[in-house]
Amino acid sequence: MTALGTTPATPANRVARGAQALLSRYWTVLALLLGWQLFSSLSGLNRIVVPAPGTVFGDVVTNIGVYLPDLAWTLGMAAAGLVVGMGLGTALAIAVWSSRVVSGMMTPVALIMRSVPVVAMIPVLARVFGYGWTTVLVITSIVSFFPAFVMVGARLRDAPRASVDLMSVLGASRLTVLRRLLLPHAVPGLLVAFRLTASTAVLGAMLAEYLMGGRGLGTLFAQSVSFYQVDRAWGTALVATVVSVASFVTARAVERWGTARFT
Amino acid sequence: MTSPATTAPRVTDRGLAVAGVLAVVALAELVGRTGVAGVGWPPISEVLLYLTEPSAQALLGRALAATGTAAAAGFVLGTVVALLVTALGALVPATASGLDRLAAVVHAVPLIAVGPLLIAIAGREATPTLVAALAAGFAVFVAATSALASTNPAQRDVFAVLGAGRLVTLLRLQLPAGVPLIVDGLTLAAPAAVLGAVIGEWFGARRGIGVLLVSSMQNLQVNQLWAAALTAAAVSLLAYVVLVAVRGAVNRRFL
Repeated sequence: MTALGTTPATPANRVARGAQALLSRYWTVLALLLGWQLFSSLSGLNRIVVPAPGTVFGDVVTNIGVYLPDLAWTLGMAAAGLVVGMGLGTALAIAVWSSRVVSGMMTPVALIMRSVPVVAMIPVLARVFGYGWTTVLVITSIVSFFPAFVMVGARLRDAPRASVDLMSVLGASRLTVLRRLLLPHAVPGLLVAFRLTASTAVLGAMLAEYLMGGRGLGTLFAQSVSFYQVDRAWGTALVATVVSVASFVTARAVERWGTARFT
Repeated sequence: MTSPATTAPRVTDRGLAVAGVLAVVALAELVGRTGVAGVGWPPISEVLLYLTEPSAQALLGRALAATGTAAAAGFVLGTVVALLVTALGALVPATASGLDRLAAVVHAVPLIAVGPLLIAIAGREATPTLVAALAAGFAVFVAATSALASTNPAQRDVFAVLGAGRLVTLLRLQLPAGVPLIVDGLTLAAPAAVLGAVIGEWFGARRGIGVLLVSSMQNLQVNQLWAAALTAAAVSLLAYVVLVAVRGAVNRRFL
């Protein structure tokens, strides 16, 4: 009998253990909040530069109506870009799989493009596609494109040889092999790409909105900064952080669920 | 061993690769010439011609020096801090889980949220360096934590049985064994540092590629905009290529 086994599982005990686990995982986040509070009250910097956490939380809670429409818009842009970009990435990966010529021509191009900092290209894309939501969508799509292309392509190539051979021997066409064997096999790759991309797409959307204006969290942030609404600016940053963390956690959960389902 | 059977496909591969790159460049030139994408997309040849002008070279050179310095300093700073934090997690295991969460949160904090904070605390000049350090540091931290955890249990047991403390185990076993994985992280961190420096400059730096990108976007200087973008892409590619070469050398030594 271990000590742990003999402890009666009273609700109080469970709460205490839960709190302990929570503290051991999130002590750094708490320390960060505490440091922010201390810095804002001790640094002697004006409230206009660094507001206290309390006032920022207060602004988000009381003016949630201001934040929500912009938040929904930004999330919508990121989601639409994810769908378009990952769809195109998957389609091109299949094209590369199906043709040696496409594969030979596209692979080096994709390698070069992959190391281009897409987010830094926002000004160029803004000039080409105009200041507006189409540009935001183009950026989130490009951001989502490459991981899907690379991950799905890798899964298509490393499909179990024996199963492919078996299906061919039994007279399955290349299309049938693709549909019945390779695409299901590629799903986990697509899910990894989703996890890698989800929060980057949100960030890309916000940066584009910050530079171009229009709607969304990035624009809300730029406007609050230029009108010296410090609580609003920090509140936007806080909301953006929470959304970014949440989209990463969601994407990871989706990946785990899908990997269990498809492998 | 280069039998004709293996060289023939390789030559075809190289030919296809060159054809692919040329096709993309030609398409970009064509789009610019015909103007189907509007005034924002100049012919690539014009951008390259612009790059040969002395005034453009001076302008881009100054910007490149500022961005390159910020990116390099941020890369070094981020790497050092990330390795120290990883070492702290290895030496005091109770902190490890919290440090992991901190890194995930710091990474998830969108750069536009950090920008004004850094400008308030550290000033305009230091912000690009710090954003670059954040971007690079996260990549190094993730690689380093998994590198230290990847030593095999049997070796760790030998160290424990022979009475080695955590510090000795870290310095003599985990760190040398983890070098290849850490260097993998560095190859990702180098382009991340360049991107971080460029984005950091958007929040109000005085010079740099990022400043040039935004000001030429706003002033409709299309050739200058594309030249700055090509420069940023080239620097990022160069950072990656250099680190891949370093990785090759390190892997020959450590694997």
